[in-house]
Amino acid sequence: MGLGLLTSRTLKSSRILHSQYSRFRPIVTKPKLQSPDASSAAAAAPQPETTPSPPKKPVGGARIHFTNPDDVIEVFVDGFPVKIPKGMTVLQACEIAGVDIPRFCYHSRLSIAGNCRMCLVEVEKSPKPVASCAMPALPGMKIKTDTPLAKKAREGVMEFLLMNHPLDCPICDQGGECDLQDQSMAFGSDRGRFTEMKRSVVDKNLGPLVKTVMTRCIQCTRCVRFATEVAGVQDLGMLGRGSGEEIGTYVEKLMTSELSGNVIDICPVGALTSKPFAFKARNWELKGTETIDVTDAVGSNIRIDSRGPEVMRILPRLNEDINEEWISDKTRFCYDGLKRQRLNDPMIRGADGRFKAVSWRDALAVVAEVALHVKPEEIVGIAGQLSDAESMMALKDLLNRMGSNNVWCEGTGTNPSADLRYRYLMNSSIAGLEKADVFLLVGTQPRYEAAMINARIRKTVRASNAKVGYIGPPADFNYDYQHLGVGPKTLLEIAEGRHSFCSAILNAKNPAIIVGSGLFEREDKDAIFYAAETIAKNGNVIRPDWNGFNVLLLSAAQAAALDLGLVPESSSSIESAKFLYIMGADDVNLDKVPADAFVVYQGHHGDRSVYRANVILPSAAYSEKEGTYENTEGRTQQTLPAVPTVGDARDDWKIIRALSEVSRICLPYDTLLSLRSRMRTVAPNLLHVDEIEPATFGPSLSIDCTQEINLTPFKAAVENFYMTNSVTRASKIMAQCSAMLLKE
Amino acid sequence: MATTVVKSALQAIRERGLRTFLRELKDDGFTFVVPLSSFLLKCFFDGNLLFPVSALEPSSEIILGILSSLLFISSFDGNLIGWSRQTKIHNIGATVVGVDKFGNKYYEKLGDTQAGRHRWVEYAKKDRYDASQVPPEWHGWLHFITDHTGDEASLALTKFALQNLRLSTCLKDLHILVLQLLMLKPKRYGVEHKENLSGKGNEFIYHSKGHALNPGQRDWTRYQSWQPTKAE
Repeated sequence: MGLGLLTSRTLKSSRILHSQYSRFRPIVTKPKLQSPDASSAAAAAPQPETTPSPPKKPVGGARIHFTNPDDVIEVFVDGFPVKIPKGMTVLQACEIAGVDIPRFCYHSRLSIAGNCRMCLVEVEKSPKPVASCAMPALPGMKIKTDTPLAKKAREGVMEFLLMNHPLDCPICDQGGECDLQDQSMAFGSDRGRFTEMKRSVVDKNLGPLVKTVMTRCIQCTRCVRFATEVAGVQDLGMLGRGSGEEIGTYVEKLMTSELSGNVIDICPVGALTSKPFAFKARNWELKGTETIDVTDAVGSNIRIDSRGPEVMRILPRLNEDINEEWISDKTRFCYDGLKRQRLNDPMIRGADGRFKAVSWRDALAVVAEVALHVKPEEIVGIAGQLSDAESMMALKDLLNRMGSNNVWCEGTGTNPSADLRYRYLMNSSIAGLEKADVFLLVGTQPRYEAAMINARIRKTVRASNAKVGYIGPPADFNYDYQHLGVGPKTLLEIAEGRHSFCSAILNAKNPAIIVGSGLFEREDKDAIFYAAETIAKNGNVIRPDWNGFNVLLLSAAQAAALDLGLVPESSSSIESAKFLYIMGADDVNLDKVPADAFVVYQGHHGDRSVYRANVILPSAAYSEKEGTYENTEGRTQQTLPAVPTVGDARDDWKIIRALSEVSRICLPYDTLLSLRSRMRTVAPNLLHVDEIEPATFGPSLSIDCTQEINLTPFKAAVENFYMTNSVTRASKIMAQCSAMLLKE
Repeated sequence: MATTVVKSALQAIRERGLRTFLRELKDDGFTFVVPLSSFLLKCFFDGNLLFPVSALEPSSEIILGILSSLLFISSFDGNLIGWSRQTKIHNIGATVVGVDKFGNKYYEKLGDTQAGRHRWVEYAKKDRYDASQVPPEWHGWLHFITDHTGDEASLALTKFALQNLRLSTCLKDLHILVLQLLMLKPKRYGVEHKENLSGKGNEFIYHSKGHALNPGQRDWTRYQSWQPTKAE
């Protein structure tokens, strides 16, 4: 990230020092590095007290927040005073001062190991160079990062690191984005003195996602710390000592974590690389598109790297409020599903039951013809879990103009209520979960439903020993939790104050209740929500300064669908439907659809519902369109197209707009912008990109529920973490994952 | 002219005997003796008659008829009758210098032939022939650039490859130099000689890789489409 800059800066500064070499960079060991004292004197002589360059900006725009004014200390980095809070390390102080210290083992989100020694700096009155990542900054410390001593120390460390590092950059997938490459260019020597044989290490099998070439490993232990601290699996560890030291699984074991792909990003060298991406492309050939993920309701910020018409890989983007800098394996590796089972031509099912590819004109004419000849109340529309807000708006408008209001989004249940926003949003926000000290998970398994939110909960549990209570089927979370019960019985006990966990909620400062949206499918969901709200009322969960009542949604479309009011008029409309418009809904149960109903499937994958369709209209996947999505905390975000659409496919809203034209009920928008301004009239928050629109009203408005609670235990909402939507079900990598990782 | 041809044919028979003459013809690719009528018919369809039958004098027609009934010959592939070709008539009395790998035959006739017309090729393809079918090693001989035949060129090429002759020894002779240049064609990646198929239809013309008409073009589709045949 900053290293390229750092390299050029280093090269520039060396050029200034060696004015006689202004045109050629010498390929010799710098003589002044051999004798630090003599050279420092020599360096000081030609440049006597020139005006110091103005203080640099903090690295990566780092900001400091002083909680207590008494804790401010002042240190000097390369002669400039910097004010930092107490407890910061020397490395952090240097970053605030705008000096990027080379490092391998240090990572701001992991614990400090201090074993790579790359970050050595000189501190005045210290006999030896100090490892800045592990040294706390003390008041008045004079840190020098650019002295010959520090440079020599880095060069020496680099020489040791490169001793056992293979020279296989040309065949290494990390090539071009390798910290070791960059830093050896910036700080390394031009030659090594090592003439022995390099050591070699046996590669480990970490599963279908992470490829290991352990000979390249420099033992920074970032992956070990990530696995234990963030992912919460104790699979990786350090074995052996000295030159026999290696990273590995203690026994032959795959890495069973939903976040295992992040070790690829975190590895500073090419020891851990992406297995599906291996030897597919070089990073400099790829075009990055900053977009968001739709495989779950978190809306992780991602960068889609594409080459030509092909998505080559998906990487996380930094967003402290949502996914920090991690993404789940499903997000990262589902991309090969975007290349398989794609619908690329409009198709009509003929009289013999076979599909035949036709032109758009013919397909739309057939659909419009049927739609105009059914009764309005027999028209039903279902939006899928990957639908964007624009297309759902267009679908609802189309069906409303046809006279029907039976349109909903799959997964929101048979009788969804969109009246109160707090009932389907994560009101405390994802980042806000870190403030909670007691969690009550009701019928939700965040580890499988939203892995990034689970990582937040785990972070909170680790940081503040927050208590977690869980009601639902037996599950395996990667943090300590109390399994309170399996069903509504326990929930009722807590609501009525008869359960031991009540005291935990009552004593908590910021209790958080997370209700799974898998419960939407239950008949008695109103009663369950009423019970959860009772707990919230009794436990003082909803206060002006803290709203701990959360609903964890399952899919990317749900929040926007409910905001747009995609609520069916009658819950049994699907049974009497004559014209069913499915917009990418593959998890909806179509058994009840009458045999004579005309089913239109608009979507990008031939998954489940397509087999019931009479007409197929191919549309664009999330990597190919510009669309608005609202995540589970009510944050609006937009995708950007990274690759072109396949075949004859079109954007979802454009298909609906064209169909409206053919049906002679022209929808009044021709561009995405005018469609969005239509959306503004329904749900203005969907235009405030990257902002959370909090729910206005709390449970104070909800009326007492008279519904009888059903005591059947809760079911797991997600059975297979790796296959939850049409894209992931088409993915070969996800199929491998579910075959290899879920059998254990 | 007709008489000279018949004369030369008869002279060849007299010199070498009928059996030898027939064998030579057979070596030339004419194996079957068929009745005269069909010969004339085929000559007619061939459109490549040496003499229009009507224009012939009765005597010469009789002579030709007798000769043909004796020597009547058809090419093996049976599509056309080579005997009636102009080249065939010339071939009588000429020596076959060599046959290249495509089956083209190279003739030479020294002596009373007009200079510059004493070497010619009889193409292996009787229906569709043009000059580009001559491979480069025979091109020089056929166009009087060198007296070394294509076989010698190929042989020298093999020898060159086998013995790794030094360039200096070969420089003695200019012809050898020409051969050398021929030999310099790198065997490893040199492609086989291919005739020019321009104007023979799109499927015969060279199209670069990726050209829409190249039959072996790469599939640039980077996705797999859903196959509706799997419908339940």
